[in-house]
Amino acid sequence: MRKANDIKYILRFLGIMLMAEGVMMLSCLIPSLHFNDGTWWNITVSGLFTFNVGLLLVVSFRKARQLANQRMAYLLVVLMWVVLVLFGTLPFLATGTLLNFSDALFESTSGITSTGATVFSAVEWLPASILLWRSMTQWFGGFGFVLLVLAMVPSLGINKYSLYTAEASGADNTGKQASSMGSTIRHTLGVYILLTVLFVFVLYKSGMQIWDAVNITFTNISSGGFSIYNNSLERLTHTQQYIVGIAMLLSGVNFAMLYNFFTVQWDKMTHKFEQLRFYLALYAVAAVFVVLALRLKMDYPWADALRCGIVQTLSVLTTTGSLVGDTSQWWVPITFLFVILSLCGGMAGSTTGGLKAMRVLILIRHVRKILRDRLHPHAVNPVRLNRKPVSAHIVTNVMVIFMVFVVVIFLGIMLLMLSGINATESIGAVIACITGYGPGLGTSGGFGCYAAFNSTAKLICSFLMLLGRLECLTVLILFIPAFWKR
Amino acid sequence: MTSPGITNRRLRLRKFNFRLITHLTGILLTYLAASMVLPLAVSIYFRDGMQFAIVVSALIILMAGLFFRNILGRNREYDLKENESYWVTVIIWLVIPLGGTLPYLFTGVLDSFTDAVFESYSGFTTTGSSVLANPENLPPSMLTYRAITQWAGGLGLMLLVVALLRKLTQGAFRLYEAEFSGTQQRKLHPRLAKSVTRMWTIYSALTAAMAVILAIQGTPVVDSFCLACSTVSTGGFLTSGEGLAILNNGALATVAVFMILSGVNVAVLYRFFTLRWRNWTHDEEVRIYFILYLASVVVCTLAFTAADNGFVSSLQYSIFHIASTMSTCGFYIPRPANWSFLVSVLTFVLIAIGATAGSTGGGIKLRRIIIMVKYIANYLTRMIHPNAVFRVKVNHEVVETDYINKVFAFVFLYIVFIVAGAFILTLCGSGIPAAVCMAAANISNLGPSPLINSLGASLDYSLLPALAKWTLTVLMLAGRLELFALIAVFSPAYWRRG
Repeated sequence: MRKANDIKYILRFLGIMLMAEGVMMLSCLIPSLHFNDGTWWNITVSGLFTFNVGLLLVVSFRKARQLANQRMAYLLVVLMWVVLVLFGTLPFLATGTLLNFSDALFESTSGITSTGATVFSAVEWLPASILLWRSMTQWFGGFGFVLLVLAMVPSLGINKYSLYTAEASGADNTGKQASSMGSTIRHTLGVYILLTVLFVFVLYKSGMQIWDAVNITFTNISSGGFSIYNNSLERLTHTQQYIVGIAMLLSGVNFAMLYNFFTVQWDKMTHKFEQLRFYLALYAVAAVFVVLALRLKMDYPWADALRCGIVQTLSVLTTTGSLVGDTSQWWVPITFLFVILSLCGGMAGSTTGGLKAMRVLILIRHVRKILRDRLHPHAVNPVRLNRKPVSAHIVTNVMVIFMVFVVVIFLGIMLLMLSGINATESIGAVIACITGYGPGLGTSGGFGCYAAFNSTAKLICSFLMLLGRLECLTVLILFIPAFWKR
Repeated sequence: MTSPGITNRRLRLRKFNFRLITHLTGILLTYLAASMVLPLAVSIYFRDGMQFAIVVSALIILMAGLFFRNILGRNREYDLKENESYWVTVIIWLVIPLGGTLPYLFTGVLDSFTDAVFESYSGFTTTGSSVLANPENLPPSMLTYRAITQWAGGLGLMLLVVALLRKLTQGAFRLYEAEFSGTQQRKLHPRLAKSVTRMWTIYSALTAAMAVILAIQGTPVVDSFCLACSTVSTGGFLTSGEGLAILNNGALATVAVFMILSGVNVAVLYRFFTLRWRNWTHDEEVRIYFILYLASVVVCTLAFTAADNGFVSSLQYSIFHIASTMSTCGFYIPRPANWSFLVSVLTFVLIAIGATAGSTGGGIKLRRIIIMVKYIANYLTRMIHPNAVFRVKVNHEVVETDYINKVFAFVFLYIVFIVAGAFILTLCGSGIPAAVCMAAANISNLGPSPLINSLGASLDYSLLPALAKWTLTVLMLAGRLELFALIAVFSPAYWRRG
């Protein structure tokens, strides 16, 4: 039915990804050998296995030509994430840190989609190699594997734009030219690496071990949220917490905008200015509420209320999921606000999850437009963003994504409740997974973990993380019968 | 007929049509006063000692009404601009339920203003949430009064205006639109006033039929009347504390049937009862409504049976519960011993969807959901075939893009309202799931749902703090006015240049 070449091409592409993943695993040997945690053999085996499977695919299908059918780009992207997640379970299983496949799958998905939900109730006993593997998957996953490939491998013989939109569901398609995709992605990657190096250095200078600095930077700049400590950021000094806060703040900003900022092309930043303003304004309002609530309702001293409010709200809005305190014990309205904030997320084109500031802004503007239409039925009221009219199909795209989000959240909650999780936990887990925040509500929230979930629930959560990372449409489209018809 | 040019200039020159608005409000106030004749009669018959309080409140309302109608509203012009129609809607919906609080306060049934406002809005918006945990202790006259507020609010106060005021030609349709969704459908009669009269006819006929049937089945007369009013308007005020425990099984079945019917588009009901069968089966939304009902009953029954309840009792409960939820009526009967989580989620989804457009029920309305689902399906297909052209059709008629955009905006706003309302409820100490469900049940004008109960919150709204009651009141009103009228009046865009 499907052209054989497309399948071959997809397999070759998967091969490249697997080789890269193998190399990633093998790089975990460095801490393994350095700290002598006794897992070097297991890591080598899983790394070499992954690498060789990839190599085999690449060699066998090296002659595959370009995708004939653009819709296969969706299949390619989804398959790629699934395969990466599946192979990502190997280090956990090989080292025996997780014995159960559903646990390993959950942890691997959570890493690769940079969600930050974990099944480990305590992480400090884990071997160093596994800790680095968790952090590293988040660092790569946060940026997006497709983008990585597009940035690293210039000539894949594929329409880059179609792949890009498949991964990001048209999140950033305002004023993006298909022809300049390559350079934009490279710039973005440059900024990402630069920020990572910068924050590793700053954290190191603030008195942290280099090992800690690397891990914390990896998981926070990517809006991931895994930690190498049981109590996440709480153990850090207050200055370090603020530094991590800044890292999270930047991870929620559009990277192309950061690039323009660093290269002093400030005039180019204006066309995303409103999103930035919305993101910061939303953050400011929420942070003020949280700080006041912590001070007045929970009797934190001012210094703690400020620090916890400021840093934790950032962690939520950017869907990172690092914690400065046990948020599950916080006042209920704060946790509810966190749920809402994580649904909003940071700016489009950043590493954050959720709906993204741009979409929320377009939705709000759309409602305003409808109101104005009613009051002035004969006026032309386009939805505007940064003073420019937004084209109708982008507005449609945003509305459809929003609705699909809502429907998926409902279905997710229903499935989780059916698998035996209670209402609060289900709501928390589904939203934490689909937005990529991580900690849910109840036992899975705060310093808790998802270990108590049964394996069905873990599988559902893993699927939701993937759905959320690929912004639903790309995955759901595979379930439409028309996709498989000629 | 004046030429449009002249009318337009006059419209632009004259200021806000304040006089017409107060006139309309005054008329409705006088009708509110007149409606208290029935409670008064009941009061005199049962000697429940409320006569004096009812007469006083009726007189005050009547005086206010006459003052509004004749003095403030003198020399009015009978036309309404777009933005004024919003004002009429909002002002009437602020004034009438506030006037409706007087009987509660004067009879001493409720002693706090907040409670009275909550109860009154819950009545007029046909929500059915109540701060009275034991309505059987109410004097019969007040039971009747509560039921009448629901009955009046069922078809909508604006529809009352349109029916009563034949002179209002310009802008009448806008009023009709303001609280009656599904305006895309054909009207029952080319003349709006006539079609509205037909709607009131069928509405009254249904109420009368139900009251008679209930009475024949052995329900006390006052209860029959009250339950009929509350059912047909999809209100859901109970007459006794233990759900509908006073009803026998036959009467419960009657209630269930009438609940389902009252969730159906009134125009379709009219065609059905005037024996225009072909037109009746044509309506896609109503067809889906019934299919959804049957499917939900099956799922619900299976879920309860799987949770170790008897099959027959599960089926009975499901038939009643789903009817009550889908029509957003909000009656409840004692629930099965073992609750099922699947039913919780199903109930929540059904609450949000609500009844069909053009019915007395609340919620997002099935029609909007159908349009949205079809549109999303088209969108996904278009991702696969980028050059294909798709159109959304309901009832074989193409739905315009503009309307689809409105639907999406509406649903987004609806969700925002639920979330915002739930947030305030958590500030008042509710748990998150209970807060979300309570907000959804009230904005959908459903009121008490066993769902809220199953999440550990109480259906007795008198236990909530005042802030929560006011929040829920706003939600009820927002839901009843389908959000836009309320937001329009409070949005800056509305105030910028008149």
